[in-house]
Amino acid sequence: MTANQNELLSALVDGELKGNELEQALQLLSTNDTARAQFQRHQLVSDVLHGHVSHNLAIDLTGRIADALLDEPAITLPTKRKALVIPFPTQFWKQATGLALAASVGALAVMGVTNQSQSQLMPVTAVASIEAPAQPITVAQAGNRWTVGEQEVEQRLNTYLVNHNEYAGASSVFSYARVVSYDVGQ
Amino acid sequence: MNVDLELVQRVQEGDKKAFDVLILKYQQRIVHVITGFVHDPVEALDVAQEAFIKAYRAIPNFRGDSAFYTWLYRIAINTAKNHLTARARRPPAMDVDALDATNYYDAPELKEFETPESNLISDELEQAIQQAIQDLPEDTATAIRLREFEGMSYEEIAQVMDCPIGTVRSRIFRAREAIEKQITEIMSEEE
Repeated sequence: MTANQNELLSALVDGELKGNELEQALQLLSTNDTARAQFQRHQLVSDVLHGHVSHNLAIDLTGRIADALLDEPAITLPTKRKALVIPFPTQFWKQATGLALAASVGALAVMGVTNQSQSQLMPVTAVASIEAPAQPITVAQAGNRWTVGEQEVEQRLNTYLVNHNEYAGASSVFSYARVVSYDVGQ
Repeated sequence: MNVDLELVQRVQEGDKKAFDVLILKYQQRIVHVITGFVHDPVEALDVAQEAFIKAYRAIPNFRGDSAFYTWLYRIAINTAKNHLTARARRPPAMDVDALDATNYYDAPELKEFETPESNLISDELEQAIQQAIQDLPEDTATAIRLREFEGMSYEEIAQVMDCPIGTVRSRIFRAREAIEKQITEIMSEEE
């Protein structure tokens, strides 16, 4: 072995290689047993200097690991996916379609709001009669009571209203908070 | 160039030789760490082998978020713990921080892993190394001290010592050669 090769192996221990020196070192270590033994000694010196040796100074696991990995297929990483590049016309039409779609949704939203504000002007009776034409029920809320044509329905609605006020919080301070309570024994 | 990362990338591309170099680089440290859990030397080697095989199989998932040794270290610790659990032995409750693993020579926890046998060898080796470094020419001794004890890069050493990087490289190599001679004598005495 030449002095340069020895230096190369010493530098490999320190991870101080440049250019194609790693290639050279790998080639040397895989073909030259003397180089391999030399590298192991360099590495051992470094380990010893760091006080990091076991009771066995002449460890060489490479042979048994190579045997164990003999039947193991060589690792092949999956090829990296290419970045998705959309060609200009496709990209243009995609963007145009997207814009058109967004504009349509916007227009619909504006029209919907307009219609809604118009419908708010319609009397409640009309809505109720449209939704339930078979049994028209006139519903109107006055203060904290419902006025319904049928007595039974009115009673039920008023009970709901009372319960709602009770559980949702009658106070305007906590009107946004829902208070849940349980009776003792429940 | 991050040599470890380069080697890992080569392994990920199917180069088994690159993994061989990673084993050569880290086998002593990994066996040392595992010995802290699995005290039987033969068993420790088996666990180290298993850890490296696991690392090889998991290497496609290594993204370089941490240093390769930190990643490998975690695998080794988990393998050792699983080994003890499988043999109905309790793994040590104490854990070693992964950052300490990267700067393993400063990790106090790793000192606790040392066995009396390894301490004896370390003491003997340390004396031999200190002697070898003392016998080196001053420039060579400084270069190896800055590299191994201060953890400086070749470029930093070159700046400190006001010399070309190539000179630093050859000084460090010569220092290692001299230390190797001392270590080889101790190793041959053991055998």
